[in-house]
Amino acid sequence: MKHVWREINFLVRQRASVWAIALLAGLAALSVGLGLQEVARQKAAMSEVIALQKKDTAAIKVFATDAGDAAYYRFHPTWDPPSALAFAALGQRDIAPSTLRIRALALEGQIYENEAQNPELALPGRFDFAFVLIYLAPLVLVVLFYDLWSGEREAGRLSSLQAVPKAWVRIWLPRVAARFGLVSSVLVVVFWGGALISGAGIGDTIAFTALILALLGFWTLIATWVAKGAGSSPTNAAVLATIWFVITLIAPAGSNLVINAATPIPDGAAIMRENREAVHDAWDIDRDATLQRFYKLYPEYATSPPMQRPFEWKWYYAFQHLGDQQVEPLSTAYRAGIVEREARAGLVALALPPIAIQRALYRIAGTDMSAQWDYQDRIRAYHTQLRTYYYPFLFSAKPFTSADFDAAPAYAPR
Amino acid sequence: MGRQGLSLNELVVMRGGRSVLDGLTLSVPAGHIYALLGGNGAGKSTALFATLGLLPVMSGQVLVDGKDPAEEPDAVRAAIAYLSETVALYEHLTARENVDYFLSLANQSRTNAEIVEAFAQVRLDPTAQDQRLSAFSKGMRQKTAIALALLRKTPVLLLDEPTTGLDPQATQDFHALLLDLKASDVAILMVTHDLLGAVDVADTIGLIIDGKLASQWQAQSTLPRFDLQALYGAFTQARAGNTPV
Repeated sequence: MKHVWREINFLVRQRASVWAIALLAGLAALSVGLGLQEVARQKAAMSEVIALQKKDTAAIKVFATDAGDAAYYRFHPTWDPPSALAFAALGQRDIAPSTLRIRALALEGQIYENEAQNPELALPGRFDFAFVLIYLAPLVLVVLFYDLWSGEREAGRLSSLQAVPKAWVRIWLPRVAARFGLVSSVLVVVFWGGALISGAGIGDTIAFTALILALLGFWTLIATWVAKGAGSSPTNAAVLATIWFVITLIAPAGSNLVINAATPIPDGAAIMRENREAVHDAWDIDRDATLQRFYKLYPEYATSPPMQRPFEWKWYYAFQHLGDQQVEPLSTAYRAGIVEREARAGLVALALPPIAIQRALYRIAGTDMSAQWDYQDRIRAYHTQLRTYYYPFLFSAKPFTSADFDAAPAYAPR
Repeated sequence: MGRQGLSLNELVVMRGGRSVLDGLTLSVPAGHIYALLGGNGAGKSTALFATLGLLPVMSGQVLVDGKDPAEEPDAVRAAIAYLSETVALYEHLTARENVDYFLSLANQSRTNAEIVEAFAQVRLDPTAQDQRLSAFSKGMRQKTAIALALLRKTPVLLLDEPTTGLDPQATQDFHALLLDLKASDVAILMVTHDLLGAVDVADTIGLIIDGKLASQWQAQSTLPRFDLQALYGAFTQARAGNTPV
């Protein structure tokens, strides 16, 4: 250990190394700060939506005296609170909605309506801790490692150092450990600071820390392997930069293109459009036929009396649900396609450790695709709760009171 | 048992498919300075690397203070202080920090008094000891490296072109230091192009040509120590590519 301490002291005497590590520390701290700020913003937005919805609901309650009006005018907020570690790996949270106000109308259009806003958010991406770890920290390791051997050779010191007894134990391994240790310490300390502030659980924090060390360990091995070779310092720097470029940018982007081409999926906006069209077309379809199709799905309401007026809410909500039914195959195909793409991306990640680690970070932070599906599943389940809550009032002529308005199911986040 | 110095016996070293050392034999007893002369590519530096165990030996044997680097590389390296031609120290450290660092690499520690004494012995200005090496002349770096060698207290010292780039006064000071080390029973093997410098301090001068010891001269106890004319003739012939008779 004394050799490692000596090499740490030696390393911090080198101005370029200090600058590289200080820059990394600054960027990591900035990313954690921005991550915490973004999580706070999301939480504040959720609180605001919930508070405003309460006001809106109170206003609707004044005039929505029957179940049809209540279900039509009343929005119900749903939200996906960020996990305590979301600050470090925002993942899908910047491109997928974390709040959604829904009504008991056709759901698919409401879900996919949000997709229209997302590409502009996806373009720049988020500057979060995971970005610093996956993309920037390896570059700092490259700066610290590329001339570890070649620099000594070029300065004429290599033979003197190799002439030291047990040179690997006393010089080279301590030098590798010092660089790995300094970069790891900087990132882990900054991350722990963020985890402490956000109140993250110890288990997740340890798992996240293990992934940080695994990623830095991977790049340390690569950098040591290249630096140990016979190449000159500029050659080693170029080789390491190329490896970084291929592993972190070219290979993931290329495999993403291949996966997307190999696994076509319906457009989310198309699902919304078809859902809307199905609902709008229903106005021109025979009402009784629509109701009969609905009663096949909900036979408990088949005894509901025939429509007496040109418009009745029960018919309206029946065709809303049938609109969802109509696009269900498309929606299922969309989800199956995304799941398939995810599975294939997971296979690619097996060959690209940094990408595998990035996916694991998002998983632990609850910001990966599965977390988004989980939120969407909750929305769907909640929507079903809402519909089936209103159905008895609509189809069985059950009286709808002020208390019933208040008793509508509330969304329960994870 | 006293110090046993250094010996190379019938040493054969191959590099890139050719013999760089082809049966080199020489001996440097304790308290002795051996200057190995030769032209570029004659195998001088290879002899040092083989002695340090940094190159594999095809046949023959190296013995450093009685130890074979092929069998006990770490023990052999612990017994050698090696000064490369470029005076391999760190520019961003002070002379004192360099000495501390390299002593630490060798798993050795010395008291402050010992270090101050070593710097005094090599006549390095006390104010320079805490200056970074980037501000040093080559002579001052050489003194720092020699101070380190003194502090290492090894029985064998290997020098690779030690006076290249030194001015005459610095060369003279350096030779004086070598004689001090010799007096403390260190076996010194110095490879050099500097014939006159070798004549000044060496007890034995060897001429290496194509990896073999072509000629060897012992210093006389009376002046002149060496037959300079014979040495010069042999050396210039060797540099011209002719083996001296």
